Amino acid sequence: MSERAHTVTITDTDESFRCGEGTVVLKAMVTLGYRGVTSGCHGGGCGVCKVRVDEGSYDAAVMSRAHVSEAEERDRVVLACRIKPRSDLRLSVVGGIGKVIARQQKKFGLV
Amino acid sequence: MGVMRIGHINIRVLDMDAALAHYEGVLGLTRTAKDDAGNVYLKGWDEWDKYSLILTQSDKAGMINIAYKVENDADLDALGKRIRDYGITVDDLPEGAVPFCGRAIRFNLPSGHEMVLYAQKEMLGKAVGVTNPEPWPDGLKGAGVHWLDHALLMCELDPEKGINKVAENTTFMRECLDFYLSEQVLVGPDGDIQAATWMFRTSTPHDIAFVGGPVMGLHHLAFYLDDWSAVLKAADVMAKRQVKVDVTPQRHGITRGSTIYFFDPSGNRNETFAGLGYLAQPDMPPITWTEENLWRGIFYHTGEEAGKFTTVYT
Repeated sequence: MSERAHTVTITDTDESFRCGEGTVVLKAMVTLGYRGVTSGCHGGGCGVCKVRVDEGSYDAAVMSRAHVSEAEERDRVVLACRIKPRSDLRLSVVGGIGKVIARQQKKFGLV
Repeated sequence: MGVMRIGHINIRVLDMDAALAHYEGVLGLTRTAKDDAGNVYLKGWDEWDKYSLILTQSDKAGMINIAYKVENDADLDALGKRIRDYGITVDDLPEGAVPFCGRAIRFNLPSGHEMVLYAQKEMLGKAVGVTNPEPWPDGLKGAGVHWLDHALLMCELDPEKGINKVAENTTFMRECLDFYLSEQVLVGPDGDIQAATWMFRTSTPHDIAFVGGPVMGLHHLAFYLDDWSAVLKAADVMAKRQVKVDVTPQRHGITRGSTIYFFDPSGNRNETFAGLGYLAQPDMPPITWTEENLWRGIFYHTGEEAGKFTTVYT
């Protein structure tokens, strides 16, 4: 029996993909070849996949407080590598450290 | 005399059970102790001291500190004085303050990373013993790594603001701890910005590395494997256990090591690193990689940035 799946939509890139209830959203995204959310450590530690869940319900696993505060988590700001869908989801990219780094990187090829 | 080698690294994990499943099952380390605070201590089969990795439950990932072992107890006084004279505050720690270790000194690198030096740690011995040993022990799990090899620390670098903690750390490590420079990356319009360095005290190309980034952090901790075939088998182990791999097996131009980069379940980057690279000696002329070739230095086969090498770390 295949697991129940939901449709996840990334508002910024208008990408939609299916994600099972037992599957992490970021993992489903990269497995299916989409790139709307930055893919990093997949462990809730690096913070580059920070998103806001604008619509839908989900289960969230533990994630780094260096990147997502308790207040943010209550406000449905999470790391996409730490959530599994319980309904269809609509996400928007928040960024966080990923955006800061993306802006600064490649100044001299490395940093 | 002085620093011998990397001794241990203490990292934060978000989920201790998941972390132990990773460091025991994927890397093949052995659990040797757990303290009252819940910290877990592990070692590789080829290491003789009680531990090389401390896992600490936390609400974030990253490194708490990194420790190097010095040869003689008196080195702690001599090096402590040099560090104080350099202008850096040094804390003297009594025996046991660093678990299972003798007295120690603690200070922060110019980059802000906390470093510990100690001379004595409780000894358990290698898994194969010291009398007529077999070349490897039975019952190894996962990749069966030998030992903690090195770590790479990300250091703040913003040339436009005149901030270069890579260069500051490199100077400090040379002048206070007698580390030698094996390789460096020089970038910028005049090719004079030291953006990354690899330094050693053993006879291998690096016991620590520093790379420039927007904020300080832990880039990776690396564990030693024998050779390419061990690296390729480790990659199979990771695929089997669905570990998040950052960069599949590849060679480094810098240090000549062969590598896999991957993440632990809290997002701390690990490396399995094989090969001793080359004989590093104090009189070896340091190697320089230029800006247009730096990615060949980092990932020699492709010559391009792979994974999220410079943008993702804890």
